[in-house]
Amino acid sequence: MNTSLVNDTSRSSVVDGHGGRPLSVSGALVRRTLLRVRRMPAAFVPSIVMPVFQLIAFSGAFGAAVRLAGVKNAMDWYVPLNAVQGASFGAMGVSFGLINDMQTGFFDRLLMAPTKRWALIVGPMAGSIARAALPVALVIVIGFLGGMNVPGGPLAIFYVAVAATGIALVASAFALGLTYRMRNMGAATLTQFAIFFTIFLSTSQVPLSNMAGWLHAVARVNPMTNVLRLARQGLLGDITWNDTWGGLLAIAVMLFVSCWFALSGLKSLEK
Amino acid sequence: MTSAPIIAHGLVRHFGSGDNTVRAVDGVDLQVNQGEIFGFLGPNGAGKSTTVRVLTTLLKPSAGSATVAGFDVATQADQVRRSIGVALQDAAIDPLMTGRELLDLQSVLYGIPKTRARERGEELLERVGLTAAADRRVGTYSGGMRRRLDLALSLVHEPSVLFLDEPTTGLDPMSRLTLWEEVRRLNREGTTVLLTTQYLEEADQLADRIAIIDHGKIVREGVPRDLKSAVGAPTLLIDVDSTHAESARSVLARFGDLRPTSEGTLGVGLAQGAEAVASVIRSLDEAGVHVRHLELNEPSLDDVFAEATGYRLEGAETKSDAPAAGARRGPR
Amino acid sequence: MTAATVATNHVAPPRSFTTAVHHTLRLTQRSVLGRLRQPAALAPSFIFPLFFAALGSASFQRMSKLPDFPASSFLNYTAAGAIVQGVLFAATSSAGDLATDIEQGFFERLLVSPVTRTAIVIGRLGSAMVVAISQVFVFLGIFLAFGARIETGVVGFIGLTVSGALLALAMSGLMSGIAIRSGSPEVVQGSFPMVFALLFLSSSFFPRQYMTGWYKTVASWNPMSHVVEGMQGFMNQPLDVDQFLRAWLIPLGIATISIMFGLRALSNRLAAQ
Repeated sequence: MNTSLVNDTSRSSVVDGHGGRPLSVSGALVRRTLLRVRRMPAAFVPSIVMPVFQLIAFSGAFGAAVRLAGVKNAMDWYVPLNAVQGASFGAMGVSFGLINDMQTGFFDRLLMAPTKRWALIVGPMAGSIARAALPVALVIVIGFLGGMNVPGGPLAIFYVAVAATGIALVASAFALGLTYRMRNMGAATLTQFAIFFTIFLSTSQVPLSNMAGWLHAVARVNPMTNVLRLARQGLLGDITWNDTWGGLLAIAVMLFVSCWFALSGLKSLEK
Repeated sequence: MTSAPIIAHGLVRHFGSGDNTVRAVDGVDLQVNQGEIFGFLGPNGAGKSTTVRVLTTLLKPSAGSATVAGFDVATQADQVRRSIGVALQDAAIDPLMTGRELLDLQSVLYGIPKTRARERGEELLERVGLTAAADRRVGTYSGGMRRRLDLALSLVHEPSVLFLDEPTTGLDPMSRLTLWEEVRRLNREGTTVLLTTQYLEEADQLADRIAIIDHGKIVREGVPRDLKSAVGAPTLLIDVDSTHAESARSVLARFGDLRPTSEGTLGVGLAQGAEAVASVIRSLDEAGVHVRHLELNEPSLDDVFAEATGYRLEGAETKSDAPAAGARRGPR
Repeated sequence: MTAATVATNHVAPPRSFTTAVHHTLRLTQRSVLGRLRQPAALAPSFIFPLFFAALGSASFQRMSKLPDFPASSFLNYTAAGAIVQGVLFAATSSAGDLATDIEQGFFERLLVSPVTRTAIVIGRLGSAMVVAISQVFVFLGIFLAFGARIETGVVGFIGLTVSGALLALAMSGLMSGIAIRSGSPEVVQGSFPMVFALLFLSSSFFPRQYMTGWYKTVASWNPMSHVVEGMQGFMNQPLDVDQFLRAWLIPLGIATISIMFGLRALSNRLAAQ
């Protein structure tokens, strides 16, 4: 066989030495997420409506129970919960979007890009924060309209946002990891279940002191309890480091684990 | 670093494990030389797309090795990605984005500076005839437009090696011709092209050399003209009543090797060439065989394929014994 | 005009009552089997009500110690709500199957056969009732095992079962009507928020007397509150005619309207073909 010897890479002149810059790639993927939301708003509506509906339903139905536990206004208890839950809904969008990209083959285009693999994960994760911004803001606004107390001042809202952002990142990384492995719609359903159970098996409805038996045992070790404590502290009273560090640590640990889960899942695709 | 743009040695890719193992690519040796269009011909499930996915770093080889643009596909995936352009099956394009937005995204993925990306995008849109449609959502494009955009996307970073996985499947004849012309033009400009196809005509028209792949193995490789002449004799095809099929077969066997054909037709490679046709008809007549239809074909790539695999590619059913490359990632 | 349309217009379906009953039973059977063969679709209507009941019992047990709480334990209170929740989820998901049948062409196959037209809808409703009855059995079995009590005994058990079945009939009729009108599983799925609203804006999860303001007003107007309170009566109060009126008559009334809606949707679809 006649072998032609060539200087093979000389023609890739427009590609700089580093390929796609990871942060630019992540940024472009965030812009794509927002563009898709703008062009297909119907798919985005449930993630706005559900947290708002749940806030109204929970505070209306269970208000008496949390007031009995010493909470002044049911909104003080349920705004942080539904902000966090609303932020986690973005993960479903991440999962559905990824499955869609896998089925259309668009994901292959991303995989073939000469860029760091983590850029392909950070993009959708950051996109989930962008998706979460509106429902979280709406929940907070409705909280204020419903007479939510803010003894902790502006920092109280900041911590609600920190908790919501943290959970949006954790949930979307988890969704990516699961979707890379399962590669079908079942991943989105499982993600939803996992988030649902993690949130509800914490202090979602009442404080730890009001819980009985098994739920108390589970909620006490559930990291979501720490995250909700972080988010709620400024609405229930003063902000203290004691109520802060546990939530920040819980987010950091969950983020580390879920990012590893996502990255290893992405790498497994090329095996 | 100098080498042929695409080299594969004993490339193997299997899916599943234990009794369920499917060897989609089963020991492929391949060399594609600088500046040629190399056609990878085979039916669905033969292993074409899986080979391409390994060569384009989307799958790791289970065994064997391959280099693309001088880089190892398993250990230097990033360098391979910078050197190649790929248009996969079914034009993987987000229907909600416009052509221009997709070109911008592709430029970011390849690290092309903004100003250069803009110029390059305009160049490519003009080249593939999509300037007027550049700001329309891709969901509104026709199949041919989508393929042309996919080709433009794969060229954003001026790759030295271009992979086209079934670039014209599902396209109308006009769009197919347009795409062929563009591939030829790219090749004239120095781009090495590996294209997979299940269309004989496409391989015949476009490829300088072809490889026929079946059940994950390359069963023939060479220049189409040489492969056809190696098959030698022209093929005589006849249609007879089913009651006469046996006697017709025994008559035909006297004039050369019987060849695989489609259902209801008998074929023979005439060892004596076209001159033997008159003798064949006489013999059939003497044997009382009534011939309904007769056709003499010079050797074609389909004959090459049939001789190599035992069945014909034209009209072949989709085979499902080996998974298509994308099978692991959902329907394609 | 399609072949299916021609056949629909020219094949006169048999009209005898026994044939109609036979067709209805066969279609009920097919529908029940279809549900059983998709455990992943049916499971949430069992898992989520049980989960919420467990969560509520562990979270709100203290509430049940209040003097005016309408049950001896929160588990006893929440049992009726769990049944209602399960029945509503299952009926909605069953209507999704019907929409899928329409989308995938099985519905047309039924229409070109000489099957009684009403059996297509009633068969689907029958299967929703069968699933609902099994839900009542499973839920009450589990709740009783965890210490719940039915104050009204066997009569209450029957009362709850009939109520669950009637509620399934009502909800399934409504959702089947939506499925037949739209022919789209997505539209049926899109009706889930309505189910959530019916459930949450009622006393399914928490007693109405502890609600305040507009929420309490809405819950008082929501017929689901009255159905569930009738059922809670079977669980927690001595036997009373009010329990039957609320737990049986309200779903029966809604069922009558919703079945008419479902059959009307069917007749419109047939007329449009």
